[in-house]
Amino acid sequence: MKKLSSFLLIFALSIVAACGNLEDKKQSTSSNPKSVLTMSWVKDIGQVNPHMYAPNELFAQAMLYDPLVSYGEDGKIQPALATSWEMATDGKSYTFTLRDDVMYSDGSKLTAENVKRNIDTVVDNSAAHSWLEVVAVIDNVEIIDELQVKINLKEPYYPFLQELSLIRPLRMLADSGFPESGTTKDGIAKPIGSGPWILTDYQQDSFAEFTRNENYWGEKPKLKKVIVKIIPDAQARMMALEKGDIDLIFGSGQLAPAEYQALQKTGKYQTMISEPSSTRILSFNTTYGVTQDKNVRLALQHAFDRQTMIDYVLNGLEQEAYTLFAPGFPFSDIKLEHYTYNLEKATQLLEDAGWALESGATFRTKNGQTLTLVIPYNSGDQVHKTIFEYLQSAWREIGVEVQLIGEEDQLFKMRSKTGQYNLIMNDTWGVPYDPHMYIRTMTGDKQIGYYAQKGLAVSEQLTANIGKVIRSTDEGQRRALYESIFQTIHEEAIFMPLSYRTNYLVANNELANLSFSKQQYEVPLKNFEVK
Amino acid sequence: MKKKIALISSSVLVLLLIAMAIFAPWLAPNDPYATNMALKLQGFSTDYPLGTDYLGRCVLSRLLYGARVSLFIALSVLVVTLFISMFVGLLAGYVGGIVDLVLMRICDIFLAIPDFVFALVIVGALGGGIRNMFIAIVLVSWVGFARIIRNMVRSLKESTYVQYARTIGVPKRKIMIRHIVPFVFPQILLLKLIGLGSTILLISELSFLGLGVSAPMAEWGMMISDSKTYLMSHPMLMFLPGIMISFTVLILNWFGDALREAMDPKAI
Repeated sequence: MKKLSSFLLIFALSIVAACGNLEDKKQSTSSNPKSVLTMSWVKDIGQVNPHMYAPNELFAQAMLYDPLVSYGEDGKIQPALATSWEMATDGKSYTFTLRDDVMYSDGSKLTAENVKRNIDTVVDNSAAHSWLEVVAVIDNVEIIDELQVKINLKEPYYPFLQELSLIRPLRMLADSGFPESGTTKDGIAKPIGSGPWILTDYQQDSFAEFTRNENYWGEKPKLKKVIVKIIPDAQARMMALEKGDIDLIFGSGQLAPAEYQALQKTGKYQTMISEPSSTRILSFNTTYGVTQDKNVRLALQHAFDRQTMIDYVLNGLEQEAYTLFAPGFPFSDIKLEHYTYNLEKATQLLEDAGWALESGATFRTKNGQTLTLVIPYNSGDQVHKTIFEYLQSAWREIGVEVQLIGEEDQLFKMRSKTGQYNLIMNDTWGVPYDPHMYIRTMTGDKQIGYYAQKGLAVSEQLTANIGKVIRSTDEGQRRALYESIFQTIHEEAIFMPLSYRTNYLVANNELANLSFSKQQYEVPLKNFEVK
Repeated sequence: MKKKIALISSSVLVLLLIAMAIFAPWLAPNDPYATNMALKLQGFSTDYPLGTDYLGRCVLSRLLYGARVSLFIALSVLVVTLFISMFVGLLAGYVGGIVDLVLMRICDIFLAIPDFVFALVIVGALGGGIRNMFIAIVLVSWVGFARIIRNMVRSLKESTYVQYARTIGVPKRKIMIRHIVPFVFPQILLLKLIGLGSTILLISELSFLGLGVSAPMAEWGMMISDSKTYLMSHPMLMFLPGIMISFTVLILNWFGDALREAMDPKAI
């Protein structure tokens, strides 16, 4: 019995993925198969509270709720629930005129009062949004008439409109969606929004069904229904696609590069890669251990063969990155000399800083201290692990020891918050967050960006400049400040950009008009069609 | 006779396994840690008899080194828990009273939680790595044996030869060492050997979840976990370490069973 059970256990371990999701048969595509799309998602969508974060999933929040203004494909702010807006000359207040024809999915109408209620409830709960300047900067909301609201700010804040367009937390919930306590920090009563989709059916950790909002004020979706199946395991998702249980796997969060390529190679599906959406970076901790030494940071920058990493670990799906933000992002077109792959230079830098390689030793030492980098990673993230394992063996050749610590999610977050690392993986967030919000986190306590700059001699100057740049109302001054900030970040080598991340999707051949959204967390289901 | 064959053949297999672990550096055709991105995910070849993994490392070499990790940890756990269980079991069984009560209630607490879940919690709290995994496995596996030893000691304590020893005034410590331990020890060693397989499984399970050994160390459970992404394209990466774990556990269980039957006094 014992023998048998241990054998079975191992067997189950070996084919762990093969048995996922066998039980559920293709469902609900019966009536009109042409207008229903089924896709997979990693996690449950949560309560879909527009004003809060995890476990609410961004893509679902974006499907149900609308912002006052939206972030256009070209980076310009465009009308959404507000048809027009006006900034006061001192930059301290904005007046919005709302659309007259917006109906929530419960039939109620969008009014100035409702907008005020939404913004007030978010501002009330400002502790939850401390990372977000827009919430801190709103002073109060005035109702001018039924379709006009004025938002007064405490101080001028240039990215105000940009941050209003974020998927969360400033999108609008209908009055009937508010809970009895009146504040959405306690959750919501019903997910009632004005967006292109309505949540019509939902079973936790199983599926969610979205139906087209026939009263949507904008361009209506072409699909009639979207069914989202929650499938946490990548192999199970791939098999579900193979069986026809789902039509679409969207996003790099759902498939590792190797899995994407495996599906692409079968030739049975359409595959698509997006433009760069954000930057994969390694962030140094300048307050901890050997990475306080600038030469070490510089040497590592030169000792990193990005192209090999991208070709073999990321299967060529991303592009080499040498700057924190891709050129083309706001204020990011700055000429900076790249740290190119050059092992000789790296070795020289380490020698210069006194990190010597004793004969017979594998790793460099200085005053008895070994050149060891502590690199933690989330033990569930296979791609990160592979990248680090590659670095571990590559850096061994120049005498740098890498100590990899795979940790459970909570522990990993705690380590990142307390700064117990030399190097950590961190992505920027893409538009509309980049560059200003990513830069701003560098001044926030316990953030990864904070540990990156805190140990620098120029830390104070940098922090002051970041404080200034988000307050500045003058475009020219802003540009100059950003340039100086990017320059410092680059010279001090506190971030090591790896690649510009891309998003990708795999779909069966029945889907058409597939595309990506500029915002990497949004799934532009509105445009998708079934042939 | 049949028993003897089973014992001999299983012993040979166990010895082979141990030899494989000890002589891994000489047997392995390549450096198990040397990556070569240009040669990643290769099939079987003369340079790489069992192919290469996602970083271009030699799979055969990693499997051989993996045997070292599993067997080394499992055997160290065996030795350490043997001492802990013996100590606790003897103390509780022989001294009795309040000491027995307290120690056994502690055991109850440990026994109330499934081994694997408990180990997972400990490793989760302490962080991964060989040392923490070792601590976790020791903590979950001493309990059951301590209880068995305690019960054995209690019944031995009432046996006539111990009673005599006590009557003629042999000190307690001497009774324990001379009259009780020699009787208990071989039986417990046997039980421990039978449990070796499940310890190896536990190591692999924790490593599979990324909470066991840390990279780049080769470990079978971690090799399975690492190859999840390549299940569709390169299934061998997952099967090979899976086969290794299965065989190792089967061999050890078989060996334990054969040993127990051979030593069973009723059978003679």
